[in-house]
Amino acid sequence: MTIVAGCDVGSLTSKVVIMKSGRIVGSAIIKSRPKPKESAEVVMQAALDTAGLNMDDIARCTGTGYGREKISFVRDIRSEISCHGKGARWLLPSVRTIIDIGGQDCKAMKVDGDGRVIHFVANDKCASGTGRFLEVMAGVLGISIEELGMFSTGSNAPVTLASTCTVWAQADVIKFINSGVPFADIGAGINGAMAKRVAILANTVKPEGDILMTGGVAKNTGVVNTLEKLLGRKIKKTRKADPQMAGAIGAALFSMEKLKNIPGGGE
Amino acid sequence: MHFFYDAVTRIENHAITRWKQSGKKVVGYTCSYVPPEIFHAAGILPVRLRGIETDGMEIGDAYFGPFICSFPKCLLQQAGKGEFSFLDGVLIIPGCDAMRRLDECWRKAGEDHQGIVPTWFEYFDVPHKSEVHGMNWFVQEIRNLIERIERQFGVSVTGTALRESIREYNRGRRLLKTVETLRAEKNVRVSGTDVFSATIAGTVLPREEYTRQLEKWLEDLSGRDPLEGEKKRLMVIGSIADEIDLFQLIENGTDAVVVAENLCFGVRYEGNEIPVNGDPILSLARHYLETSVCPRMFGKYKQRLALLREKIERAGVEGVILQNIRFCDLHGSENGLFQRDLEAEGIPCLRLEREYGPLKETGRIKLRIDAFLEQIA
Amino acid sequence: MRPELKEYNYDWMMGKTLKAAAMVPGGTQKETDLALKYLPYYHGVADAFFNAGDPGIQLLKMLSQYYENILTAREKGKKIVATTFCQTPAIFYAMDVVPVTFEVLTALGGLVWKRGLFDYMDYCCEVGMSETSCSSQRGAMGAYLARLGEEIDFVVCDTPGVCDTNANAFSFAATYLDKPYYQLNYPSTLGDDRSEKYHLDDYKEMIKFLEKNTGKKMDYDRLAALIKIVDQQDELIGELEDMFMLVPVPMPPLFNLAMYAGRFAFCGHEAFTRLLSSMLEWARTQAKQGHSGLKSGKEKLRAYMCYIDHYTVDMNFWHYLDERGIATVGSILSRNFRDISTYAQFLEGSGYGVDVSSPEAMIDTIAQMNARLPMVRSIRGPYDKRNMWLEETLAIAKLCHAQCIIYNGTPGCRNTWGMVKPFSRDLENQGYPVHIMNDDAFDDRVESWDSTRERLDEFFQVRGLL
Repeated sequence: MTIVAGCDVGSLTSKVVIMKSGRIVGSAIIKSRPKPKESAEVVMQAALDTAGLNMDDIARCTGTGYGREKISFVRDIRSEISCHGKGARWLLPSVRTIIDIGGQDCKAMKVDGDGRVIHFVANDKCASGTGRFLEVMAGVLGISIEELGMFSTGSNAPVTLASTCTVWAQADVIKFINSGVPFADIGAGINGAMAKRVAILANTVKPEGDILMTGGVAKNTGVVNTLEKLLGRKIKKTRKADPQMAGAIGAALFSMEKLKNIPGGGE
Repeated sequence: MHFFYDAVTRIENHAITRWKQSGKKVVGYTCSYVPPEIFHAAGILPVRLRGIETDGMEIGDAYFGPFICSFPKCLLQQAGKGEFSFLDGVLIIPGCDAMRRLDECWRKAGEDHQGIVPTWFEYFDVPHKSEVHGMNWFVQEIRNLIERIERQFGVSVTGTALRESIREYNRGRRLLKTVETLRAEKNVRVSGTDVFSATIAGTVLPREEYTRQLEKWLEDLSGRDPLEGEKKRLMVIGSIADEIDLFQLIENGTDAVVVAENLCFGVRYEGNEIPVNGDPILSLARHYLETSVCPRMFGKYKQRLALLREKIERAGVEGVILQNIRFCDLHGSENGLFQRDLEAEGIPCLRLEREYGPLKETGRIKLRIDAFLEQIA
Repeated sequence: MRPELKEYNYDWMMGKTLKAAAMVPGGTQKETDLALKYLPYYHGVADAFFNAGDPGIQLLKMLSQYYENILTAREKGKKIVATTFCQTPAIFYAMDVVPVTFEVLTALGGLVWKRGLFDYMDYCCEVGMSETSCSSQRGAMGAYLARLGEEIDFVVCDTPGVCDTNANAFSFAATYLDKPYYQLNYPSTLGDDRSEKYHLDDYKEMIKFLEKNTGKKMDYDRLAALIKIVDQQDELIGELEDMFMLVPVPMPPLFNLAMYAGRFAFCGHEAFTRLLSSMLEWARTQAKQGHSGLKSGKEKLRAYMCYIDHYTVDMNFWHYLDERGIATVGSILSRNFRDISTYAQFLEGSGYGVDVSSPEAMIDTIAQMNARLPMVRSIRGPYDKRNMWLEETLAIAKLCHAQCIIYNGTPGCRNTWGMVKPFSRDLENQGYPVHIMNDDAFDDRVESWDSTRERLDEFFQVRGLL
């Protein structure tokens, strides 16, 4: 059986997925190091360890993400947009619209039945509307990103934040804390501000069919719930794998496709 | 090609230096609505001002506010640094809100940075409509401009000289039209980067020299082999762009070739020749105000869309990159409409917002371009 | 835009809100108090209007009628034009065309609704407009692009050359909705023969455009009558504006908003005359007694808003001025530069006259009047040229004894952000403390109101003004 891998080196996290016969046999996620090459090597070793494999066992590996061109062990490189499309299709075969919020940008895309991207838009702003935005805000509140995600449900009066600029939003959050606004309202305001920025992007591609969120922010229920309200549509959940791994899954699937196209190369 | 490339990657290229050394005058202008033929006829070298080679923004940001396009900021930055010291005059045009404010910002910066404002620092009030009274205004504006040039530089711009200049510029226009035909070939033999360099060069080189070099280059091109590999044919449109590295980013190391563009620095309406008979001022006015339509003219969307369709068809364009500089609402919003209408016709589009100047955000832009090329596949 | 909003007609919502509000003050105090309970978000605005006495009531009535006209235009067989604030609507009224003035409607919506017009603003971006486009149009315009307002028949704007961002928004709307578009183009100079002739030619073409799109001929008798009414109203405005020179300013901060909102949307209408007369009467009484129009009755500081005011949720800005004891002596939106007005005397050649003796004279009057409306008047050319923004600001600040000058706009405002730094430096050199507000006058998401307020306080403290 051929074993393939996908390596997604993002700005905040790096991910590797190892697949065999269309199933995930190993994976790992780490905080990205300053050098993409190093991130890739560390996360690959971690994934190999979970699968009990060696580098030599990997028949082919595709790189994606911001650091994709710096990875030493990949044969092919694909843009993360294509990889997220492919990976999302694997996570949820009925998916047609994908919202991917990564560490430093946010994309909305539409895919066909094969997970091929037919239309996409990406944010061209600063960190607002990205994972980094939430990270900075969580930092100001002194809580974890996961805890931040829990806010929203307990708030009836979310604050309005300066959401077009991360620096100003940060100043606002500090001010709210100092004036004693409940954390739940601040947290809900942060998640809401984030969701609103993402909704503009999502509405630009005119969502169709099933929607799936990928990337780390997919795990923030506060953002997801608010986004559902703004879009007036349910965002599907998947248990098949961590949605943050979608890019790496897509990359692994591309490796598989490449091998299939080489005579005697695949299963 | 090296000749053009060298000419357009430096603000003061060798030809400008040589021109100055011979004791002749140079005037800078800021928009495609200026007829350079007028300066040519006066024996002055017209140079379209560009904000390339910036390595900071401390002067640009000191006068312009934060929500302003980086193109005029880069121009101001370079002016403040003395990079335009070769200019004997500057002509400011209200191309858009940000560009017309270059007038005040440059003059005010001159209060803090000695000697950066040439004595001849003028405003050329191009109207936003070409209907009868708009055209009359523009004609008068050209006449006033000629008077001001004559007064300042002690020259005489005669009808005969103007007609001769139009003839000279037409030669270049004809040659560029031939280049456009070559780009439309199925197996294209010239990169978009090269063509872009060649067209920009026309705005910063002495015209006779430019025409000569263009002829030489075309001769060389006609004998050249097609570019290697299967290429995806792209068109680039939108905000002002004169950065060769933007085109290199699209073409180098990818399977893409830019076969058309609709930019105010590229081959926009260069194929249209200006009639040499009749009143040369009227001919110039009509050409520059009527045929080179930019979104600043408002309400001309259908005309511009028709032009894009024509180019797409002629050059076999497979995907369109619609770029706009941040805060350029004119192109930014028009790009939204183009995307709606072109995608409805099955032409993939990529909207890209960027900053003008040295490409510092190549990773972000490259990611989008790569994904777009994968999408076109 | 969130889907539930698409279920409601925007004009209808606004119309009903204002109609209900206009009816409240007619009841007893108990009824008013009860009604206010049901207006949790609109409370501050309602409070400001109701407490302004008869002028507040007249303002509500006028705004309510404005919406009523939009909502009933179709059944009355009238056409609707989308237009901009720096355009006297009288010329449309003369042709039975109902104007929808995006900026006024955006300001109103922003004042009234808790979440402002965020959804509508974002909708414009969702359908392709650049996010950096000016919020003053994007607000109400979003509703019309989403076809949640009355159908627009055509678009007329008079900003190309002065505010290209504005002109671009209208051009976008016309293209998106596939409606005819006419732009009045303004050169960089004002008051010289050449530009006056250009304006006249442009307005003649506009009348042709209106005639073509309404199928009606311009009724010059009606236009003459309307111009006369507008001129009478301008005279009332002039008298009110002269009171900005008094110390203390006898009018509450709300009056300025009422004056220009009415001027942009409803001049030529009786309801506006009633509002102006009511304000004038109120102000005269106050002035006679030497009272300040501020709630506290104590004027601590006089500020000139050299550009626009701040319109987000619940009239926060006006309440802030009132609380801090700051009287504003108007903004750029206030003055119309009729040649007999006091300030026009201080800027020679800046004013216009009125002549209704012939159709040509009337068109010229309207053209010259419109050429002097806010923004298109003094921001058309380089700010330091004759009678342009710097001279005008200094003249008004001096006449009205302003102690500081405040700039507020939107990030979409290229034509002022393009030079507000050197402009403010020049003002400082003339001895005026200047504060540049970094917010968006229509969108709290750019800078929250709390931050805006804090920065204002900081400015007043640091510069020793309060």
